[in-house]
Amino acid sequence: MKKYEALLKDLAPQKFNKSGVIWVSVLVIIIIIGIIAYIDQIIKGQVVTNMRDYALWGIYISNFVFFVATSFVGAIVVAVLRLTKNEWRTPLVRIAEIITLACIIMAGVTIMIDMARPDRLLNLFIYARMQSPITWDVIIVPTTIVISFLLLYYPLLPDLAILKNHYKKEQPKLSKWYGKLSLKWEGNKKQKSIQEKSIRIIALLIIPVGFMLQTIDAWLFSTTYRIGWDSNNMGAYFISGAFVAGVAALIVVVYIVRRTKKLEKYITDFHFDKLGKLLALACLIYLYFNMNEYLLPAYTPSKGEEIHLTTLFTGSYSYLFWLVTIVGLILPIFILIFKKGRKPLPMFFIGLVVVVGSWWKRYLIVTPTLLHPFLPIQGVPETWHHYFPSMHEWLITIATLAMALLIITLLMRYLPVIPIQRTADEQALLSTNKNEAS
Amino acid sequence: MKDQLKFKAVFLAIISVFLLATSFQNVNAQSVKKNKLRIKALYIHVMDGEAYLDLKTTAKVDKKNIKVSDIELYVFNEFEEGKLELGKVTTNAKGETKFVIKDLNLLVADSSFVYNLLVSFKGNEHFKKAKKRISFKKAIIEAKLISEDSVNYISAKLLEPITMEAVVNTSLTIQVQRLYDPLILGDEFNETDENGEILVPIENGIPGIDGILNLEVVLNDSDDYGTVKAIVKAPIGKVIVDESTFDQRTMWSPRNKTPIFLLIIPNLLIIGIWGLIIYLIINLFKIFNSKNETL
Repeated sequence: MKKYEALLKDLAPQKFNKSGVIWVSVLVIIIIIGIIAYIDQIIKGQVVTNMRDYALWGIYISNFVFFVATSFVGAIVVAVLRLTKNEWRTPLVRIAEIITLACIIMAGVTIMIDMARPDRLLNLFIYARMQSPITWDVIIVPTTIVISFLLLYYPLLPDLAILKNHYKKEQPKLSKWYGKLSLKWEGNKKQKSIQEKSIRIIALLIIPVGFMLQTIDAWLFSTTYRIGWDSNNMGAYFISGAFVAGVAALIVVVYIVRRTKKLEKYITDFHFDKLGKLLALACLIYLYFNMNEYLLPAYTPSKGEEIHLTTLFTGSYSYLFWLVTIVGLILPIFILIFKKGRKPLPMFFIGLVVVVGSWWKRYLIVTPTLLHPFLPIQGVPETWHHYFPSMHEWLITIATLAMALLIITLLMRYLPVIPIQRTADEQALLSTNKNEAS
Repeated sequence: MKDQLKFKAVFLAIISVFLLATSFQNVNAQSVKKNKLRIKALYIHVMDGEAYLDLKTTAKVDKKNIKVSDIELYVFNEFEEGKLELGKVTTNAKGETKFVIKDLNLLVADSSFVYNLLVSFKGNEHFKKAKKRISFKKAIIEAKLISEDSVNYISAKLLEPITMEAVVNTSLTIQVQRLYDPLILGDEFNETDENGEILVPIENGIPGIDGILNLEVVLNDSDDYGTVKAIVKAPIGKVIVDESTFDQRTMWSPRNKTPIFLLIIPNLLIIGIWGLIIYLIINLFKIFNSKNETL
């Protein structure tokens, strides 16, 4: 019993400390600045961005693709590890679920920011053409949001009921909220049976839906005939890229959560070691698809492909391209091969570098292709041949990233980041096994 | 009285200022340099069809040749006794216009059967007045399709209508009408013989809508006759099969013509996934309602 109380004390959500309050305040300020910039964008139109006839997709779409990719962590860590019965996933799944939900919500928000007339959002549904990959995207993003929510919510039910009782005396208001959200969970057989069955369905559902989401995202590009996008490799390339971005984001958040919430007892070096191996595997797969994506066209390039690849390999985007490829992809593989590289602190830095690299990778996928259209666009200023985001675009994009972090922070403030009931069950089982063995 | 005089003086001064200002304006207006307008006119006569003038207006402004739009051009028929106004046309945005001669037989020719037309521009604030004279005689092209030994020929004869004499040693072009430029058949120049005739073989397999070729025999921009054309509809072409997908269900058609497979597969997926989502939401209600219940 004492052990359970200690567990509850460790894992129950706690109030923000001083640095937590500062962190949230900074995020809120960034978001407010971004909202002001967005309102200005709506009033003045997208002329405030640097998107023009050439770069008609810019940083917003890169950011959207990044959010979509990062949301894949739910399908990988939660569903795949669950179905493959990897028990070590327990302290990581909730964090993965939270990242998934936050990122997919922000993907939906970001795509609306890219719309010059968000008031016409409903037209996407009313006048939807099933032939258009945009329509597929409009369908799959809300679908993934709902499934991601259910993926987070179902396993939470027992924990919410525990928290209801835990805060009954100290914080009755909060306890009431937990009670309402726990749907009168008392852990009876029928409830457990429905819950287990439902979680199994979600775990099975999130994998194809996650694959569909990433593939549709890739097809948004590859169905356009544009050089650099018109590739049969694109679906698998995006899935493997999402695998990298998702696991790297998870590592970064897990490290911060472990440190700030002092969960070293629950999230151990063993977990980082496992995550490190997973990230190394993801990076290797992604590297393979990168080779398919760049080396094969470089071997037998058409004129257009030659121009595009020269821009990436030795041209104006070469610094960014090689930085992202070497530092953001190849170097992590070499570090993660070694056991020392899979320790928490090195893993945190590797994760951070990979996440930043993943963001810029999306920028490299979107922008250079747009700057090389099939037919030159005539009668436009020379500046339109190049693209770098405007101040409005930066402020709004940074605000969306801050929003994702705020959603993650707030969910982690009010929800147990490690499943309480499941951890208790596992520890009880562990002690029972020990007793039986002795 | 003194005041009245003063008032008169002031009144005169004000009037003078206005008058002076007006005269200065005139001076300024006169000082604006007007550009020279060029008129290009081409007489075209389609046998059994319309006769018209193809008119173009250009000007050199700031050392650049530009096409001049909104220019009113008056067309006159000039003859020994005077001239007759035939009508007026205005150039379009490309500086082009077409003046249709309503009835060629109503035109008055001079003693040598030459018709003289004058295209005149009265001038405006930007361009000086300009005129262009064009002279032509009537000509007749008689064209027909002949088949000999499974080879199709187009036979044409060029005649003077008044004397019905053959026009010899004159180049005619045979071409088939196409959407943009016509496709020239055979040699580019086919000189008429002593009978004013030419005979040009038409190769097989030229595509045409419903297999019909619109063959043109053209006397091109002749100094004496202008441009004269005879059109022969020849059912000897290869039938063009209409490959339009307008009515089909394609990936590029509107949403009411979405391919069936694209309606079935995604909708099945949507129904399947959302069916499960609804089932999962119902399960939440079941959990809510199963307090104090056992299996």
